[in-house]
Amino acid sequence: MTAATETDRALVDRVAKGDRAAVRLLFMRHHARVYRFVARQTGSEMMADDIANEVFLELWKQAPGFEGRSEVSTWLLGIARFKALSSLRKKKEDWIDDDAAAEIADGADTPEVVTMKEDKAAALRRMINALPEEHRTVIDLAYYHGQSVTEIGEVLDIPVATVKTRMFYARKKLGEALKAAGYDRGWP
Amino acid sequence: MSAAEKMSRRDEMETLLPFYLNGSLEGAELEAVEEWLASDPAALAALGEAEAEFSGTAAANEAIRPPADALSRFTRALDAEAGPARKPAGQSWFAKVFGQLTAMPAGVAWAAAAALLALVLVQSFERPGGKGNDFEVAGAQDDLAKLPFALVKFKADAKMSDIAGFLGQNGLKIAGGPTADGIFHVTVPAETAADYDKLVSLIAAQPFAEAVIQGRKPADGG
Repeated sequence: MTAATETDRALVDRVAKGDRAAVRLLFMRHHARVYRFVARQTGSEMMADDIANEVFLELWKQAPGFEGRSEVSTWLLGIARFKALSSLRKKKEDWIDDDAAAEIADGADTPEVVTMKEDKAAALRRMINALPEEHRTVIDLAYYHGQSVTEIGEVLDIPVATVKTRMFYARKKLGEALKAAGYDRGWP
Repeated sequence: MSAAEKMSRRDEMETLLPFYLNGSLEGAELEAVEEWLASDPAALAALGEAEAEFSGTAAANEAIRPPADALSRFTRALDAEAGPARKPAGQSWFAKVFGQLTAMPAGVAWAAAAALLALVLVQSFERPGGKGNDFEVAGAQDDLAKLPFALVKFKADAKMSDIAGFLGQNGLKIAGGPTADGIFHVTVPAETAADYDKLVSLIAAQPFAEAVIQGRKPADGG
């Protein structure tokens, strides 16, 4: 066995046969990303902790039914997304993007002053965090989780065209925010 | 091409750039982006901006730190779940000995496992002509949540003295395990992804290594 290259799918096959060690290996490979994805979705690391655990328990239960039509990472993120939305609905919480935006707007410094105090990289990171949830999520899934347009559509259960539209507006908003902060990048 | 058409094309290319950067673009869209990058002077600057977004998004995500004890808590939850009965996995002496430990609470089991490893190690030192190679069991001073690691399973006929010598010579530490399948969590003292790859390949090349699975790599990602 060349386990250094043992694929996620091979591990899922082992999980489907009741191999608990394989699910722990998948946990070690993917937990951090699933945890971060849920934390970004819910705005709560406590919820992320619970939900990320549930995602891998779900993997344990659902592995026999995994058909391999998508990457394991995409499958896990899809489960995570579903569970995050369900938990948020139960708690009747609002998305945090408005709160995050308000937090920035209500700070002691004006956005211009805040921007003067930070470099472009830090400003960009702050602006990404302040994007509306639906825009930030496609940014996260593409840049951090390495998902394709089709895979993002699967995770979010939206059409490919919608993924592109959200990506377009997400990047447009980042460009506008950067421009407002004095970092003109020439687009949009 | 009209200004409106040119803008529309620019919008389309800007939309695809994140997917070009993450390597998921293919077919006609990949060709279109590559053609744009090769032909439009503004494209390379746009690519630079997308790369900055890439870094910013990675930094924003990496700033979120999962709890260090997540795996142990998940393992407890998993153990409580019903599922297909797993056959005894390890036929090696490792698996046989440590199999008994897995029935204990995690902390006790690892303490016992570490003690056993230490005992075997001491015995190897006392063997006449022993090389005296040493390895360590990662302790509290190591921040395990941050250290690069690999998952290693040793062959059924693995000799503890060979393993101990190799671990000691390469600064590798056993940080956890074995799982029920005899898999150990081994910290890898690498500062770069390239060093990590080198060490993991070295482990995999050892005659006593049955399986090596990459875990956390150093931050440069490689």
